[in-house]
Amino acid sequence: MSVIRLEPRLSFPYRRSAVERGYTRRTLHVDLSPPAVTVKPVSPEMERLFIGGKGFDLWLLWQAVTPQTRWNDPENEVCIACGPLGGTPTYPGSGKSIAATISPLTGTVIDSNVGGYFGPFLKFAGFDALEIQGLAAEEVVLVVDGIEQNVTLYAAEGLPEDAYALTAFLTDRFAQGRPRDVSVVSTGPAARHTRFGCLNFSWYDPKRKRARYKQAGRGGIGTVLAHKKLRAVVARTESSVTIDTNAPADRERLRAVSRLHSREIVELDAKQNEMAVIGTTHLVTIMNDHDLLPTHNFRFGSHREAENLGQAVFRRLFDPGFDGCWMGCTVACSHGVRDFVPLTGPYRGIPVFVDGPEYETIAGLGSLLGIFDPHTVIEMNFYCDAYGLDTISVGTATAFAMECFELGLIPPEATGGLELRFGNRFAALELLHQMARGEGFGCLVGEGVRRMKALFAERWGADPGLLADIGMEAKGLEFSEYMTKESLAQQGGYGLALKGPQHDEAWLIFLDMVHNFMPTFEQKAEALHWFPMFRTWFSLCGLCKLPWNDIVPEDNRDTPEPAKVMKHVRWYAEYFSAVTGRESTPEDLIRMSEAVYNFQRLFNLRMGFGRREHDGIPYRAVGPVTDLEYESRAERYDRQLAEIHPDRDIAALSTAEKRALLRAHREAQYKRLQDAVYRRRGWTAEGIPTLATVRRLGIDFPEVVALLAAHGVRE
Amino acid sequence: MIRVGGKEHPWREGLTVAELLAELGRAADTPLVRVNDSYVSRPRFAATLIPDGAEVFLVPMIAGG
Repeated sequence: MSVIRLEPRLSFPYRRSAVERGYTRRTLHVDLSPPAVTVKPVSPEMERLFIGGKGFDLWLLWQAVTPQTRWNDPENEVCIACGPLGGTPTYPGSGKSIAATISPLTGTVIDSNVGGYFGPFLKFAGFDALEIQGLAAEEVVLVVDGIEQNVTLYAAEGLPEDAYALTAFLTDRFAQGRPRDVSVVSTGPAARHTRFGCLNFSWYDPKRKRARYKQAGRGGIGTVLAHKKLRAVVARTESSVTIDTNAPADRERLRAVSRLHSREIVELDAKQNEMAVIGTTHLVTIMNDHDLLPTHNFRFGSHREAENLGQAVFRRLFDPGFDGCWMGCTVACSHGVRDFVPLTGPYRGIPVFVDGPEYETIAGLGSLLGIFDPHTVIEMNFYCDAYGLDTISVGTATAFAMECFELGLIPPEATGGLELRFGNRFAALELLHQMARGEGFGCLVGEGVRRMKALFAERWGADPGLLADIGMEAKGLEFSEYMTKESLAQQGGYGLALKGPQHDEAWLIFLDMVHNFMPTFEQKAEALHWFPMFRTWFSLCGLCKLPWNDIVPEDNRDTPEPAKVMKHVRWYAEYFSAVTGRESTPEDLIRMSEAVYNFQRLFNLRMGFGRREHDGIPYRAVGPVTDLEYESRAERYDRQLAEIHPDRDIAALSTAEKRALLRAHREAQYKRLQDAVYRRRGWTAEGIPTLATVRRLGIDFPEVVALLAAHGVRE
Repeated sequence: MIRVGGKEHPWREGLTVAELLAELGRAADTPLVRVNDSYVSRPRFAATLIPDGAEVFLVPMIAGG
């Protein structure tokens, strides 16, 4: 066993800035090459326009990079911020961090919203946001110690490789006997060898006496951290957080609204989704029943064995107890499995605690791969976290590789002997271990779907058209785990999302497919405006979305807009007003988000993306690519074709002809949706915010106006 | 007798989730029902029997992370 050494390379004493109305109004910039630390002020304009969290990340990153910056350039940053409401222990779901960087997968800005204590601890240590720039010459660990009021960069040797062991070590090393005072951000060995490395954010679970983890999974932020040779970032502060720690503008008002929401969740969660007991695992069978659970690389939406992965199984497997990823959260949905014994890899035969799985992981590492064994899903979940991998991208990329293998689009020798067929759980696990070791076909899968498509066509002559249809990525990011073939709104929710097909921006599939809340085109376009805006707001403030609409008031169905859960939206406006002292209505919250949302669209444009052509999605997200898929739901598709073309004899057509007819219709519908959404958002037909829009939102900075002009958008 | 959202409701042999929702006037706005520890979604309402003594909850399911 190697000796672990941590030697200070740079020590930066600072005076901790008091938190006032949710802000410290300072950010921390750390350059790794050469090591340097700077503290920057938060200007009133930055606070007013960008609010915090993701807004601060975007603004700081915008100034750090140029249109030519690539993910592995020194000037690229990993930014992590909380938000003005983050760190409130009385209001449920108030402990989120938001990480952002230029993504190795997409080449443009990516953001990821994550639990754990890091963001609030960073703020209480004195900083609203952290920027990490440069490439270290040696492995380093960064410690922001709010108790000692010191930022230290350590040269590191001999640290544990995997994220679980690394975090456990660093928690012990820096806690000074109070592990709850420490939160660690780290990644693992596979982040060095793939483009979809994740970040693990920790918090200490005093009941179980161990560090627990949530992941900022999407877009390869862990890959950027690993490339910087930054093994981990540690935040330390007093964990005795109270309602006063954020120094709210109106403490009693905050207490009152916190109590309303917290109590409602305690009362209703037990009657509704039981998230405090089963997390999001109930979604598996519900999605399966509605033909929305992706199986076999999104070919199909249901499977007879899906129940093996559902809540009934995980209800028994999860370790009972409080599982809030932030203090005081009454949703408390971050469950885990105790004493799980992996069958493979470095932890083979050793009992471990696994944080998760959640729905996305179950679908991505289970049904999508044709694997319906919960133990395999748990093992893959464990190794993804320990190796620093995004479970969603791993699942979607592996599923694509499996389908290519089964269709013969790649030769058998391509996988180095792995029988990469759907359902082969040992092959799926071996790919993970290869990603961690940096060898074999796993490394190729770790390049992500977009690059696999190019490689398979170039190296093995695979049909580029078919690869484009079945490779489930958009903007370079792998799809998250919902079947969208029958939901035009969710197709837009994925295709028009700024960072790529991740559901956090517009999770409309249930509202569309089950509640039928948006039957018309205009309603879909309106939903694709309002929901992304409101959902963005949570990431500006350091909040989790689940308390908003996963547990809803009992009279919600009788309200004019049940999909929006307006009672809770009003509570959030009250919450924001109480903490920041900035009196706000629900409409104000939307406006806050709109400014940041449009700014992110412009950021994409600046990086060479952000136009209509970049909002396309693979046809498998829209309709059946193969005869097999069509015929599996032939009655549905035939009926739809008969409605679209009443003058044609559909029964007389071959399956291929019917597929083509359906495809022409569905692709045209998607384009119509793009047009409607762009109009609603105040964008040009090319999908670029107009000058009037950026002026209305107050983001008409000279560089923004120049950027628009360079893309032909003028008065 | 069964309990629906904590309130007593008469039970009969062969009572399905679909029939219960019709009796309650909640068929249109209920996508999901929990019967004891099992979640039943709309496509299975008509085929799912409710056992005597069951604890039933109507789940609104707006949501998603």
